[in-house]
Amino acid sequence: MSAITVDISDMKLSANPDDVIVTYALGSCIAVLVCDPVRVAAGMIHYMLPLSETSPEKAKTKPAMFADTGIPLLFQGMYKLGCRKQDLVVKVAGGGALYDDKGIFSIGKRNYTILRKMFWKSSVIIAAEDVGGSKSRTARIYVGSGRCTVSSQGQEIDL
Amino acid sequence: MIAPEGILSRLKDLPTLSAAAVRLAGLARDERSSAADFEKVIRPDPALTANLLRVVNSAYFGLRCRAESVRQAVTLLGLRRTSEVAAAAALAPIIPRRLPGYEMEASSFWTHCVAVAVLSERLSTELGVRRPDLTFTAGLLHDVGKLAIGVFVADSSSEILSRTREGGMTFVSAERAVLGVDHSQVGATVAEAWKLPPAIADVSRWHHSPNETPDKADRLLVDLVHVADALAHSLGLGADVGEMARKVDPATEARLGIRARGLERVASESLEEIRSLAHEFAPGAGGTR
Repeated sequence: MSAITVDISDMKLSANPDDVIVTYALGSCIAVLVCDPVRVAAGMIHYMLPLSETSPEKAKTKPAMFADTGIPLLFQGMYKLGCRKQDLVVKVAGGGALYDDKGIFSIGKRNYTILRKMFWKSSVIIAAEDVGGSKSRTARIYVGSGRCTVSSQGQEIDL
Repeated sequence: MIAPEGILSRLKDLPTLSAAAVRLAGLARDERSSAADFEKVIRPDPALTANLLRVVNSAYFGLRCRAESVRQAVTLLGLRRTSEVAAAAALAPIIPRRLPGYEMEASSFWTHCVAVAVLSERLSTELGVRRPDLTFTAGLLHDVGKLAIGVFVADSSSEILSRTREGGMTFVSAERAVLGVDHSQVGATVAEAWKLPPAIADVSRWHHSPNETPDKADRLLVDLVHVADALAHSLGLGADVGEMARKVDPATEARLGIRARGLERVASESLEEIRSLAHEFAPGAGGTR
């Protein structure tokens, strides 16, 4: 089994059933995990910020930095692998916050809000999620089985 | 609780920053210093010379021509930047492969150090405030106390973690409650023992409690590093066992007048710089026993 690592502001896709896609240290950032049990393919994005208007120049070179430019690319990537929208299973992890996080540092909350808005507009249903809190998370998706796990504070859960 | 002698004995075990880096930090603050003075300090240190040339020619600094000699590097980079590169070149090799207590690999700790250095500078630009002397270096070295206190944190790990995870304490408060001292206080002691400029010790000491910064210290510098540290942890740039169990001081937010959008811009525009700069050095070669 080979591990494919997704860095911050990056995304990876695979149709190799032996691969596992992993991302580490999800704080306020969010990982969207998509798998297609029919085509046997999976993809993951680890975006850092909600909106590309924050830095349009960066959005051109690193679209996966932002939810609004990155998430559509993840879905398009899955379609290029031959997946169909109705077969996709979508899960979400991350969006954590520092303590007392109500104001300027609520990046995690804003990351999640924009995600919900985008999914609502395009009728994507979130099958499972582990978001919020002051945790740092590691998320994995096993391409062959479509199994998704989130580990944090020494414990691993199936998503 | 740790007896003060316990900490002091750890300091003796800690590898020291290269003498050249410490001397450069001093020279950089002396307006009479020249490139020739810098050259005299750097050239006898082959590791520093090699690192300096590599970093100067890296994408991070984006120079138009290639520096082939120490003199050229100092001229192209300027004295202040040279001393900052030297600080980074001196810190990277003394980070242990794994930090006990904080459950982090050298690469993760290093990423965090570089992230806070770059974010602190970028934040001063975003806010349009003066950039305090030593912003980069103070950001880079803000957590140096973790190198000395880690073994004690490891011994009391379950107690500290239960206070953060069940008790809702910040990690630094839990350290202080359980050990009697925290990594920021220890960091200031380390900085003093290494004879670093006082601003470095000040930032280490108050980076979790910027409101307590006394008037004689540079409060703006402490505020910038405080916010940059929180931002780095929020973004997962160097996650440790304390995870997101930390607070941002509302008084700092008010003093700096920073907005959410500004903070996000700082993050988006710093990420690649942090990556490329962190990549230039290989941490974890040596370090504490």
